[in-house]
This record gives sequence, structure tokens and C-alpha cells, in this order.
Amino acid sequence: MASALATRIAAEHAAAAASLPTEVVSRERRRSAIETLATEGLPTSRDENWKYANLRPLEKVRFAPPAIGVPAGPGPGAQPSLKVADLPAGIEGYARYTFVDGVFAPALSTPVPRAGIAVTTLRAGPVAEAAGSRSGGAAAASAPGSRAPSSAGTDAAHASASARAGSPVLSSIRPGDAQRLKDARFALLNDAFATDGASIRVSAGTDCPTCIELVFVATVESQTASSYPRVELHIEQDARLGLIERHVSIGSGANFVNASVKVDIGRGATVNHYRVQESGAKAVWFDTLSAVLAQDASYKLHGVNVGGLSSRSTINVLLAGERADAAVSVASLGDRQQIQDAFVRVEHLAPRAKSVQTFRGISAGRARVAFNGMIVVREGAQGTDSQQSLRGLLAGPEAEIDVRPQLQIDTDDVRCAHGATAGKLDEDMLFYLLSRGIDAATAQRLLKWAFLEDVVARIEVPELRRQIERSLAGQMQEAAELQELL
Amino acid sequence: MLKIDNLHVSVDGKKILNGLSLEVNKGAVHAIMGPNGSGKSTLAYALAGRPGYEITGGKVIFEGKDLLAMAPEERAHEGMFLGFQYPVEIPGVNNVYLLKAAVNAARKHRGLPEVDAFEFLTLVREKMKVMHMEESFLSRGVNEGFSGGEKKRNEILQMLMLEPRLAILDETDSGLDIDALKVVANGVNTLRSPERSIVLVTHYQRLLDYIVPDFVHVLVRGRIARSGDKTLALELERRGYDWIIEEAA
Repeated sequence: MASALATRIAAEHAAAAASLPTEVVSRERRRSAIETLATEGLPTSRDENWKYANLRPLEKVRFAPPAIGVPAGPGPGAQPSLKVADLPAGIEGYARYTFVDGVFAPALSTPVPRAGIAVTTLRAGPVAEAAGSRSGGAAAASAPGSRAPSSAGTDAAHASASARAGSPVLSSIRPGDAQRLKDARFALLNDAFATDGASIRVSAGTDCPTCIELVFVATVESQTASSYPRVELHIEQDARLGLIERHVSIGSGANFVNASVKVDIGRGATVNHYRVQESGAKAVWFDTLSAVLAQDASYKLHGVNVGGLSSRSTINVLLAGERADAAVSVASLGDRQQIQDAFVRVEHLAPRAKSVQTFRGISAGRARVAFNGMIVVREGAQGTDSQQSLRGLLAGPEAEIDVRPQLQIDTDDVRCAHGATAGKLDEDMLFYLLSRGIDAATAQRLLKWAFLEDVVARIEVPELRRQIERSLAGQMQEAAELQELL
Repeated sequence: MLKIDNLHVSVDGKKILNGLSLEVNKGAVHAIMGPNGSGKSTLAYALAGRPGYEITGGKVIFEGKDLLAMAPEERAHEGMFLGFQYPVEIPGVNNVYLLKAAVNAARKHRGLPEVDAFEFLTLVREKMKVMHMEESFLSRGVNEGFSGGEKKRNEILQMLMLEPRLAILDETDSGLDIDALKVVANGVNTLRSPERSIVLVTHYQRLLDYIVPDFVHVLVRGRIARSGDKTLALELERRGYDWIIEEAA
């Protein structure tokens, strides 16, 4: 039965349908997404895997994206007023592609053509074409001989868009995977309304460890319109990619952002994926990431959640090929009345694959920080090696932290090591610092810092790590003293 | 320097120190010995202000001030240093940061400006040589992955940097091989001065061969059962603690 919310979403979709670009998501697929949402409804807090997320703000959201190319009010039309200086500082060696309210913004991008890497925007049409003429094939930067840039960009976008209709993630969903599908319902909402996005194809054997940065900027207020970042990543055999994905707000920060990221990693390929969510203080941020790993593929995902008023990230990693290796590290920091909720499901389908989940979260003020880490080992995934280290830190009497490990194992030959803790600062550590003359407030900040450093220290891009550390330090309101650590 | 008068301390409701009195003068080195469970470490922690060590009676005057009224960090500011028996590992906070923060906290208390970064590093390197520590140690997490011996050397390094007026060293010798023991003892000896007092808590006489005490006290059931000079430690080495325990009974 359709909930009131799903009915309203369907109505908003019907009104906007004509203007939604079909090369980004086909009309059929948009319609099917809306139909599924109408049948299933969006998750509610009664859903087991959604009880920590804050779904109430959805009631007040206008789901339709801003009208493309209409130069009125905030949104893509207001793009010219945004300057490069408004964005986070670029990271050396990474080609930047910026999207404002879900639409590619060439003026804020610095594409670099690279052999074997094809970056295309999903949307054809006026903005993308303008991009091509302005920066010489900016939207489609690729090496000679691989996917065609500029003039042929539109066709290429069309071609790859239709190929994506049978994208690996959806086609890999098998009967009986109903729960995974249910948890990916916000990706359907993205399907229904997406206006643009980035498609990255890395051809076989290409080595690009310092490669691409995607910046998604939200400017439009949620009562006016919503923003739908979309990424489709396809890494062919034995290639290597370093990707940074960041989400920021400019303006009031009262945005509704609903991102969908699909990652398909071929045999023996390696992806290092850094994701930083530093949305505005009033932003509502939803996110669905689905990754599929082929044989011997390796995926390192580092998530940092600092911003937003209410944030929920749903991550599904499928180890579909033998000896695939996934490491998912998440650091979340909540303060004031923030809600930071992350759900990670790592599913072992093939034998001898390896997975590691690491979570460090701090909840201060009246915040709620949650991490639900699930490991599913399917029948036939013998020799699975799976580790989980989940730790939450409660840094205030009114804060809440929920750390939840879940194991579902359908095979015998499995090694699963998991540890989950949620608690206060370590008293012994605190006393040790005090005994060295460090005052109580500084000692507490220092220990909170150290707690997150566990995950942050794994970020192998020095400049990104510095930026994240600065952002965390700012959030912890300890800028002055902790700057010294950076 | 330090005057402990009839100190009673309980931990988890259990009485550990039962009317301990001790006076430590400026420049003196005192060794506190005693069997397991006699209250040696409790004394060290209570003096440093560890939470959970409940003072149920008595007074402690440190440099003319009421020590027990001070927070742990204030005790450090006043010049007290506790060398931990089990130094705590703090991954994510690096050693050099802790050292600098500690030195600056002490300087601030004395109304001095923050230490110059270059001078500070020069000084740390000099002290690290005394403690036979490698440069790489500075960027590592506090005690993270250190061996027992490295942790103890790190304690003494911190002490050398902070130059306390009163150092309480809780079983600094435990877990050390003979070479490390000499390095640690040498570090402690470089701090000996007429202005500085040291309280060594130890099980064994061996440490006292290298750091020669002015006084030796034996703790039994939470109070000092016998005091003497360094020959008392040698006598304990020979005869064990039983005769003192019997005498105290």
C-alpha cells in the first residue's frame, strides 16, 4: 500500500517527468522506480535496519530537482555565482569534476585527460554541451583511442546510459535478496529524479592511483527542490583507481541530498575510494552505495561523516568473485543535534574472499551516532575471512551511540572476528594525560581526536587527510589546540 | 617537600592504606618496599590523584600546600610526577605532542611562554640520548606497541623533560633486563639534586644498587612497618619480608 509520502513522491515525479533527462535514467526505469516505491514505500523507523535513521525530515522535502537551465533562484541557474574559491581546496594530482545540485558544473571543474580513463557526464543537453565547447571536451575527458570526447560526447553518454539500465549491481540482485533491495530504496528515489551524474570507466590495465575527485555541491533548499548526486564507476580488469568523492553545501545548508553510487570492480582491479560528507549544518543527506567485486578485486572504502543535520549512508558490498578483498572504514562525528547513521552490509558470495569493517564514531552534545555493520556469508563462500572492529565513543551525557554488529553465516568454513564496543573515554588514558599536567578539557579532546585518528590515519592522500583533520578539529571545537597536531 | 600524615585510602570500599605517615625532605631519595598487596602502588596513585582512590582520612602537604585538595593536573603543575608501573598506550596521540603539551602546561602554570619549537626538539633529542631511545619514537603513538622496557624508558624521558620537584616512580624496574635497568637508573640519577626528591616504589633491592636511596621503608598492610637506611634493603634481600610482617602483627 502506498504511503502518503510515496503518493506525494509519485505526484511530484509525474509533474516533473517530462523535464527529467532520459539519457541519465531511462523513462522506463524512472517509472519502475516510482512503482516500486509506491508498493514498498520508503523505509520507516519500524524497519530493522532503519531505526536509527531520521526519516521525519522527508515529510517536508520537495523531491523534484531544480528545473535544469532555469536561471532563477538557487540551484543550477545560480551556478555562475559560485566560485572555485567557495569549494574545498583541490587535491594535487586529482582531476576535479564538480556537480552543483546534481548537475555538472564545468566552470568549477578542472578535468585532466588521462589515458584509459573516460569520465563522462550522464546528461547530454545544453549544460553538458556548453561544457564541451567551453573547456574543450571537459565533461568527457578521455584519451585518444578510448571513448570519444566532446562532439561525440552526447552519443557516448547515451550509449553508456542505456548500457547501465542493466547495471551490474541490479542484475546481480538475486531472488532472495529482497532485504538488500529494500535497504536500497533511496537509490530508487535517485533513479526517479536524477538530473545528471558522473560515469567513470577505467579500461583494463590502466593504473591511476591519484586520479579523480568528484565534488557534489548542494545549494538549493529542501523546501524548494532536492539534489541527486549520481556516480557510476566501472573498473575493468587489473586497473587501479584512486577516487575522492565529497559532498558539501553552499548557502544556508538546508538541503535534501540523495546520492546513489554504483561501483563495479573487475577481475584483479583495485579501487581506493575516499568519501567525505561535510554537508551544511541543516542538510538532510541520504546515500546509497552498492559495490560489486569480481575475482581478486580489491576495494578500499574510507567514509568520513562530519556534516549534515541528519545523515544516513547505506553501503552494500558484494564479494562476488573468489579472493575479492573489501575494506570499509567509516568515521562519524556527531555533535549538537546531528544524526549520523551508517549501515554497511558486506556480503560474501564467493570462496576465500576477505573483508574488514572498521568503524569509529563519536557522539557529543545531543547527537545520535549509529553504525550497523552486517556480514553475510552465503552458502558456498567457504574460506571466508571477515573482520569487524566497531567502536563508538559517548562524549556527552545527552548523546547517544549505537554500534551494532550483525553476522549471518550460511557456510561452515569461515573465519569471522568481530568486536564492537560503545562507551565513554578510557579512564586510564585520561588519568595518564592529567598526571602529565594536561588539563581535563584538553585531555578529553585529545582522546576523542586519537579515537578517530585510528580511521583517519588510513587515508593515504596527505592533503585530503589534512583537510579532513582540519574539518574534524573544527567540528570538535578544538581548532586552536589541535591545529598543532596537524 | 612532602608530608604524609596518617593517610587512609580505600579502593572499591576496601581499605588499603591504614594510617600511613611519611616525611620526604628536599633532595632525599626514599625507597618504599613491601610484599605484594601491601599498598605501595596505592600510595603512588593516591598521591597522584587517581580517581577511585578514596581518601578516607589523613592529610598530605606538598610544598606547603594541601595536596589532596588538588586535581591530578594541578599536582603535576606543582611539580609532582608519577612514573607509572604500567604506562598507558594512547594510539593516535603522538609522543612528541604529549611531551610538548605537558611541558607547555607546566610552563603556563609558571607564567612562562610556550616553549620554542626548535629548542624543544633539541632538548628532547638530548634527553632521548640519555635514555638510549631512537628518533622514530617521537612520531609514534604514546607507548603504542612499545615493549615493557621502552615504556619505562619513555616514563623517565617524560620525567627528564618535566623536571619535577618530586618524582614518584612506581615499580619502574619491573620488566626490565639488566641493561635497560642501568639506562633507567642512569636517567633517574641525572635528575638527582638537592632541590629534588624521589620516591621509588619497588619490590626488589636490585634497583637500589643503581639508585642508592637515603631511606628505605617497608610497607605492611597499608602502613610503614619499618624504616632504615640502604642496609635495610639488603637485609630484606637476605631475609625476605616475613620477619617484618610478623613483627608488625
